[in-house]
Amino acid sequence: MSDNGALLSVKDLSVHFFTSEGIVRAVQGVGFSIKRGQTFALVGESGCGKSTTAISIMRLLPKPQGKIVGGQIIFEGQNLLSLSERRMRRIRGNRIAMIFQEQTTSLNPVYTIGNQIAEAIKLHQKTGGKEAWAAAVETLQKAGIPDPAWRAWQYPYELSGGMQQRAMIAMAVSCRPALLIADEPTTALDVTIQAQILELLDEIQKQIEMSILLITHNLAIVAERAERVAVMYASRIVEIADAKRIFAEPLHPYTRGLVESLPRMGFPGKRLHTIPGAVPAQLHLTTGCKFHPRCSIGGRDKRCQTTEPELKEIKPGRWVACWYAPEYKTS
Amino acid sequence: MERKAAVASLAVIAAYFALAGFIHIAEAFDWQIGPTLWRQQAGESYSPPGADNIFGTDIFGQSVLRKTLYGAKISITVALLASLISIAIGVPLGAIGGYFRGFVDEIIVWIYSTLSSVPYILLILAFAVVLRDRSIFGHKLTGITAVYLAIGLTSWVGICRLIRGEVIKHKNREYILAAISYGCSRRRIIFRHLLPNVFHLVIIDFSLRFVSFIHAEVILSFLGLGEANRPSWGAMINDARTELSRGVWWQMAAATAAIFVISLALNIFGDALRDSFDPKLRTRVERGS
Repeated sequence: MSDNGALLSVKDLSVHFFTSEGIVRAVQGVGFSIKRGQTFALVGESGCGKSTTAISIMRLLPKPQGKIVGGQIIFEGQNLLSLSERRMRRIRGNRIAMIFQEQTTSLNPVYTIGNQIAEAIKLHQKTGGKEAWAAAVETLQKAGIPDPAWRAWQYPYELSGGMQQRAMIAMAVSCRPALLIADEPTTALDVTIQAQILELLDEIQKQIEMSILLITHNLAIVAERAERVAVMYASRIVEIADAKRIFAEPLHPYTRGLVESLPRMGFPGKRLHTIPGAVPAQLHLTTGCKFHPRCSIGGRDKRCQTTEPELKEIKPGRWVACWYAPEYKTS
Repeated sequence: MERKAAVASLAVIAAYFALAGFIHIAEAFDWQIGPTLWRQQAGESYSPPGADNIFGTDIFGQSVLRKTLYGAKISITVALLASLISIAIGVPLGAIGGYFRGFVDEIIVWIYSTLSSVPYILLILAFAVVLRDRSIFGHKLTGITAVYLAIGLTSWVGICRLIRGEVIKHKNREYILAAISYGCSRRRIIFRHLLPNVFHLVIIDFSLRFVSFIHAEVILSFLGLGEANRPSWGAMINDARTELSRGVWWQMAAATAAIFVISLALNIFGDALRDSFDPKLRTRVERGS
């Protein structure tokens, strides 16, 4: 993958967790790139390594157990993995920001939301108390919170779930980051609030030309909001494509299974499609293609059982890791 | 009913503190009133409790009432200073150990485990005796300074453990991860984000531990290690060793009563505080709407 002006370029990233029961290879050889202003979705089931990938970009892995064991993360021309902790801190919140799944627990309960947002601003922009507070109120307003001057004095527990999520978004975008990593931003919200939050992210994105790395297992929001999609399975990326193409023409059997599993309107009484089997436990991964035990095509194929297919770019912008994908040359 | 007991306890505690404060001020301005006049002869030597001396007099004819009141100053002051020292040592150590874990944590745990395995009284005794006639930075340590230093330097283990445990619990919470994600340094995380969330433990521990500090001071004074020329509850109880054989019971009774009342009040109040801060520790479940 070449850089050519990409904002973020992840190359061959591998992350291991060293536990008392063995080494968990949570992320293996993951690579993708995100352009400026683009919304890039990383999809997969629980445990496939997408959240770990996101956290690794910010270098927020839990200290003794988690380690980035290989690869590069090129952001705005720098390899983040070679930066000192000090310089990394200047990037966190400032150039790259993150919002989390559980909004209730992501805000410090003993500080007002205005205070927390102002803290983020003060850290990166060297402004005084009053200026930072004013900027915090302004950010709250941009996040769609009504009466922000008053709300800024409230504590997290005084806000509803949707408001808390908006507050967290406000905190994340307060310093106008170039990249926002959204880790399951809507999973813990009701459907109506979900739509609002996605709208909000859209607006903010347009305003400050921000890229979004959207981590989710909800294909519906991927279809609606993402421009590029990468599908992860058992610690590896199996397919990357433009959002429109991936739904119309999924190339990897797993992606195909996911797309076909989406319930469709207009077919009452039809059975829902499922992918047989379950995601393998991290410690007991099979040889060969990680998906082959559940694959209708490669289930009994010798090659699929023994050799792991690499992620290859079969067409410009179209990547797949499957021996049986069309035009997948075994070179 | 619990509410009333808690409020009454708070009133008693406030009264003791007010008394101690008053005596400090009175001595500073050299007011001659009540407790500060403890040296004055108030009656015959060893006169029993009666009309003019409610608690009787001691061997020198000094008013036991006045001595008891004066003792409050010493006990409260010592316990307060010792508390501050032990919090100042225990909280940062607990927070640092709990947050960084690894080698730093192991050292801190080793230190406090060793310290806490020595019997408390013996430890305080040892410190008090050693500190007694030393000087720090050219400043000579008086008896009372040695006492509160000794207590403070040895009693920080409890709060250290509490803070460390709570920090370990909290540091993996999402709001800490979120704070790191917008660029907070580790020092900021510990002092600005973690500590305010665990500080309630300090308040509860303080109120419950205060009692043991008062007791420690009493014991040290009883053993003759406290302030030599001032009345304190411990010294009064010490005098009782010889007095009781002569049938003089009032000095011991007064000192004991004074200690008992403040201890009870602190215990009741400490429990009430703990109940209101942490519902999970409640002993009785309140139901109803």
